[in-house]
Amino acid sequence: MKQFNKRIKLLGLLICLLASSAFAQTRITGRVTDSASGDAIIGASVLEKGTSNGIITDFDGNFALSVSDPNAVLVVNYTGYGSLEVPLVGRTRVDITLSEAEGLLEEIVVVGYGVQRKSDLTGAVGTVKAKDIERIPTASVEQALQGKIAGVYVSPSSGEPGRGATIRIRGTGTLNNAGPLYVVDGMLLDDASFVNPQDVASIEVLKDASATAIYGNRGANGVILITTKRGTKDRKAVVSLSSYYGNQQIAKKLSLANGSEFAQMYNELPGNSNPLPNPEKYGAGTDWQDVIFRDAPIANAQLSVNGVWKKLDYNVSGNFFNQQGIIEETGFERYTGRFNGEYPILKNLKIGTNLAYSKELSQSVGGGVLGGVYRMPSIYSVYDSTGKFSDPTKFGQSIGNPAADLFYKNDQDTRVNRMVGTVHADWTFLKDFTFRTNYGFDRRNDHFRYHEPVFMVTTSQLNNLDRTTRDSTKTRNWLWENTLNYNKTWEDVRLNVLAGQSAQENYYKKRNTINDILQPNGEEIKEWAMLSYLGRVNATFFDRYLFTASLRADGSSRFSKANRWGYFPSLAAGWNIAEEPFMRNQKIFDRLKIRASWGITGNDKIQEYPSLGTITNELYSAFGDTIQQGSTLVNYANADVRWETTRQTDVGLELAVLNGRFTAEIDWYKRFTFDILSDLPIPDYVGSGSFPFVNAAQVENTGWDFTLQWRETKGKVSYNFGVILSPVKNKVLKLNEGKSEIFEGRTGSGDFATRTTIGSPIGAFYGYQVEGVFQNQEEINSAPRFGNEKPGDFRYADLNGDSVLNAMDRTYLGSPIPTLTYGFSAGLELFGFDIAADFFGVKGNKVVNAKAVSRFDTPNWETLWNENHWTGEGTTNSVPRVTNGGHNYKMSSFLVEDGAFFRLRTVVLGYSLPKRWLSNVGMSRARLYASGTNLWTKQAYSGFTPEFPGDNSFRAGIDYLSYPMAKTMLVGLDVTF
Amino acid sequence: MSTPFKSLIAAAIVLLAVTSCQKDFLDRKPPNRLTFEEFFKTEAHAFEATNAVYEQFRNFDCIALPYIACTDVLSDDADKGSTANDAPLMIDIDNFTVDASNPLVAPVYKGYYRAIARANVAIENIPNIEMDVDTRNRLIGECKLLRAYSYLLLVQWFGDLPIITTTLQDDEYYAQTRQPREQVYAQIEADLTDALGVLKEKSGYAPADLGRVTKGTARGLLAKLYMIKKEWAKAETQCMDLINSLEYSLLPKYSENFLPIGENGSESIFELQAVALPTQQAAGPGSSPFNMVQGVRGNPNLGWGFNRPSDNLVTSYENGDPRREATVIYVGEILPDGLTQVQDNVEIINERFNQKAWVPSHPGLQDNGPGNIRVIRYSDILLLAAEAKNELSKPAEALPLLNQVRKRARGTNNFILPDVTTTDQTLLRERIYKERRVELAMEQQRWFDLVRWGRAGAVMQAVGKTNFIPGKHELLPIPQTEIDLTSGRIVQNPLYN
Repeated sequence: MKQFNKRIKLLGLLICLLASSAFAQTRITGRVTDSASGDAIIGASVLEKGTSNGIITDFDGNFALSVSDPNAVLVVNYTGYGSLEVPLVGRTRVDITLSEAEGLLEEIVVVGYGVQRKSDLTGAVGTVKAKDIERIPTASVEQALQGKIAGVYVSPSSGEPGRGATIRIRGTGTLNNAGPLYVVDGMLLDDASFVNPQDVASIEVLKDASATAIYGNRGANGVILITTKRGTKDRKAVVSLSSYYGNQQIAKKLSLANGSEFAQMYNELPGNSNPLPNPEKYGAGTDWQDVIFRDAPIANAQLSVNGVWKKLDYNVSGNFFNQQGIIEETGFERYTGRFNGEYPILKNLKIGTNLAYSKELSQSVGGGVLGGVYRMPSIYSVYDSTGKFSDPTKFGQSIGNPAADLFYKNDQDTRVNRMVGTVHADWTFLKDFTFRTNYGFDRRNDHFRYHEPVFMVTTSQLNNLDRTTRDSTKTRNWLWENTLNYNKTWEDVRLNVLAGQSAQENYYKKRNTINDILQPNGEEIKEWAMLSYLGRVNATFFDRYLFTASLRADGSSRFSKANRWGYFPSLAAGWNIAEEPFMRNQKIFDRLKIRASWGITGNDKIQEYPSLGTITNELYSAFGDTIQQGSTLVNYANADVRWETTRQTDVGLELAVLNGRFTAEIDWYKRFTFDILSDLPIPDYVGSGSFPFVNAAQVENTGWDFTLQWRETKGKVSYNFGVILSPVKNKVLKLNEGKSEIFEGRTGSGDFATRTTIGSPIGAFYGYQVEGVFQNQEEINSAPRFGNEKPGDFRYADLNGDSVLNAMDRTYLGSPIPTLTYGFSAGLELFGFDIAADFFGVKGNKVVNAKAVSRFDTPNWETLWNENHWTGEGTTNSVPRVTNGGHNYKMSSFLVEDGAFFRLRTVVLGYSLPKRWLSNVGMSRARLYASGTNLWTKQAYSGFTPEFPGDNSFRAGIDYLSYPMAKTMLVGLDVTF
Repeated sequence: MSTPFKSLIAAAIVLLAVTSCQKDFLDRKPPNRLTFEEFFKTEAHAFEATNAVYEQFRNFDCIALPYIACTDVLSDDADKGSTANDAPLMIDIDNFTVDASNPLVAPVYKGYYRAIARANVAIENIPNIEMDVDTRNRLIGECKLLRAYSYLLLVQWFGDLPIITTTLQDDEYYAQTRQPREQVYAQIEADLTDALGVLKEKSGYAPADLGRVTKGTARGLLAKLYMIKKEWAKAETQCMDLINSLEYSLLPKYSENFLPIGENGSESIFELQAVALPTQQAAGPGSSPFNMVQGVRGNPNLGWGFNRPSDNLVTSYENGDPRREATVIYVGEILPDGLTQVQDNVEIINERFNQKAWVPSHPGLQDNGPGNIRVIRYSDILLLAAEAKNELSKPAEALPLLNQVRKRARGTNNFILPDVTTTDQTLLRERIYKERRVELAMEQQRWFDLVRWGRAGAVMQAVGKTNFIPGKHELLPIPQTEIDLTSGRIVQNPLYN
């Protein structure tokens, strides 16, 4: 912290230095608002008439301008609105209202370290506004993005309450942790789980390099900018209340063998010395899914107040969210509070803050209840005839009774207290300069507690010591950024120059205890730090020629000195064709813009010390009756590990026709990701306890993003249709260090499930091709085989035709990466009613049902294996005889299923009460609605859902069984006073 | 100077101030861990790095289910055990239908190579530590012996092996190939010879260091290596050096070897140590899962019941041989704690358990096993000495060694296990082989003996394991993942496709 005192002193010095430099001009402040809504107009130009002296209004519509003459005339201009001339006549404060002109409303978008008019953008940026987020209730901001922006793929990482979602922006480039960077009100973070969606004013997704390179260090996976709501100036306090309540159900159950089917299959196991008599007597048995799944309520309540008090504009909100899990004994509760405020201390200095507090409590069940449901034979009831929990260990030690887990292992919870915020000061000086210092912090304490009483259900499902396990995690993250902005508007030129510096540090400490005894290696401390310098120039000529150039240099503590610094440039240009003089008289295009960008971004999101061999302690050795300390190098490092970089080219077209009713944004992009970071498997003979991170490969993603919208308002009726389409092709261009193939992704048997080679998609599935089932011994004798096949076993194809069946006969079995993601949305508003629906789907990908392969004992079977399995010559040629593991469970085409799905993601029906009814009770708005999420899905895959959690693309699309998805129905009420 | 220019300079000063401290700001290392560069500096580090090698031998991969599967279950001593369809993939090992993806084979390969890696890093770096020279040499010797022990197991299981004697660098990770087993033997011999020169005798260790490997361990392992190589004279020398060191003697009672009181007894030459702290709340430091996987099902043993002594083993004892009762736990039997009667588990057909892996209790959780694993006992060496001498046509010298083992087994009951008297080399060989089986039954020796004797095929056929293919099943398959990761530079064993 010593360095910091030094820095703060220097900052003070700077302020003194500059405050003393007075200038002989008249300073004018004011605010530009929409005449109809009273909302701030952001990015309006305010120009001293007859000069090149001007400025653009800020995020609140405010401007400050020094003019040479107290009686000058201001020319206020904003695309989509009329132009207005305002004589000052000696005033120093002028508030200006503009009326919307016919046609398009100019959009302002948030970009890295600033805001820009959408028409001036040279990059590919997708925006979701508060209105769209509020309309469809979601539990997280990630979910609010699902299906809204082309090229942004959101998949729930697990159906478990409180879990975030996995986001992929523009296909798979980065492999290890492909999540985007989140920037919440200027704070750089890896997640945004603490943000309550209803506090969000806008979400911007930066997709191309022109937009992301300013966040070079972590821009490679895209950047999601989240701006929370601010106080609305010059209006009385607005109080909003919203709440909803609903019910969740499992969206799709698995099809598992019933009691008599299980018993029958068990009896058919080869060499089974202990069959079950009368398999039919077990009947339907127990569907264990019914034992643990339930209907679960979900509820949310939000109160927010915003307005201005004295000169402080503020937004205060509180939120309560409760989601019970569709698995018994699971649930999530979150309280969030937020204070956003900004206050002008001096006329050219304002300070502001965004503070969010969240407190979370999640409840879970230990012992893998879900695995128990999948594995527990259906012949058992919850209790046996003596009233005790049924003991399934006859079928294997690793099978536990899920009902007993629910009963004994439910005292498990995680509490999270988290405070995330920023404090900033903006100082405007020398009329065109703004200096901003922004300090952000993320302080988080997680406390996991699990109490397990003494119990014994079976010899492996038991606990003979009452114990309480605790994991306490403390995370401290701070960010300090200083940026200097030069903003100048001449008649035909707008220029913005940004220079800045950024430093960030993260500290993580975890302690694991059992009954308050610190466990071996139970304390873990990790740190990382990042130091960055950044610069950007935006220039707009004649409203139609747009240029952007940026450069960021990042130093990451994760890499060794030699590889520490990465440099991330970008260049972009745009042309607003519709603004050309020769286009003035045409009536077709309201907007027509083409843009192109090129740039490089980086990724260092891997473990903290990949280049340092770290000594593992507490490798205790026993000697006699004593225990002695042991330590050594267990996990190998890679001293040469370096930045992963992505070079991206993007060409985009934006157009609006028919008076803005139809808009389209089409982007073509090509991304090369170099030196992809991944912890690739190394041979066991190396002896390392873990796989070191390496710069593994080079991958190309080529794709298109289409966003098409039709919006029209006719009198009291308005409606819209939208389509997003993102076809993408993924191809591996190079494997580093002379490798010709990378194996990854294990099935339950330990076989690799994927093989990545040059020219193939990354993480392509790889295994044997099933040709059929051997019907009799003669067939076996005459076919290429492994040697131990019996009639009823799979006949795998001898693909290389050498008459020997071996590992060389494995082949490409499909790609886990969808070739197309797409979405449709439609909305209609009339006479106070609003109805909206959106659909989302993917196609072209495969998934692997790896959970079915894990047969280290005799758990239940999926119906897939039960129905029509081979029971004798001629019975079937597609499903093998009953076995446990081994030959028929090799990684093969039998395990690979179609991953395509199409889902009605949300549907909502709302009714807004007429304003004339509301004004009597002091309300300005009231809306009642009902909505449904995940109500209908068309999928080919046999599992819960074809979307699985997991971050590494070398092992994607593999189903190891995870918390299933819920479908939700809810009703809600939003009221504004 | 114009004002904007001034302010820009000031801004630059701020940026420079931050820049100037970048050096320490970005240099990060784990706050509560040493890095490799900071380790291997003190005598304590030398001990810790050596102890860490021992630790790996308590790992599940090295001594629990995979180990049992690839030793006793593979042999005619034992069947899989537990219920009929618990761990069915172990049946593939038992029945010689094992393939390169079997999840019980890869762990022993991985587990012992990890022990080798830990030994390598210690052997490479301890020499640079300034410390007492004798202690330093001794610790390096311990690591070399443990490395040799790992290779000895691996070479018996897999044949030719990549020989790794240094910490591999990243450009070497995928580049290794299998070396002929003779070279592996040479590496083992070199390590054991080095170790023999610097290790202490067992009596040189304080009770708190019991279980550290000794000169006796080195001699025992060298004897085993030479027996494999059929270098009888060399084997004889090592055995006799060990015997003549007078460090070891047979315990009066055979069964005591496997009770807590027999741990590190006079018969113990190489014993992997485990301590289960009663205060520990989970599987704690020092414990092992060895006892759990083989233990009697149910309270208080909490075992999984794998490694069932086979029908063939049970009938292979001479009449009245008390070693059978000391080796096999039957239903209805009172356990050695004198308290618990083994209940019949109706789900297990012909229930039997390995008494040599039995422990009276598991403090805390079931994998908090307290039992040491007896790797080399004195009687093993006596029988190897007898075998070597017989092969060298010295039956008169072999007989007393063999009979010493029988006499101890006999105890005070003179009606059983009469002394062997034959001096016919072939007949005596059979008696020694038979004696090894019953003396060392369920101690993970049998499979390696059968292969060493060239009898695996015949014996397996005789017990009905007809899938055994000579020339193939003497070795286990190399894990397919290892072949995949090296793009075939590591080749599969013969006939495993």
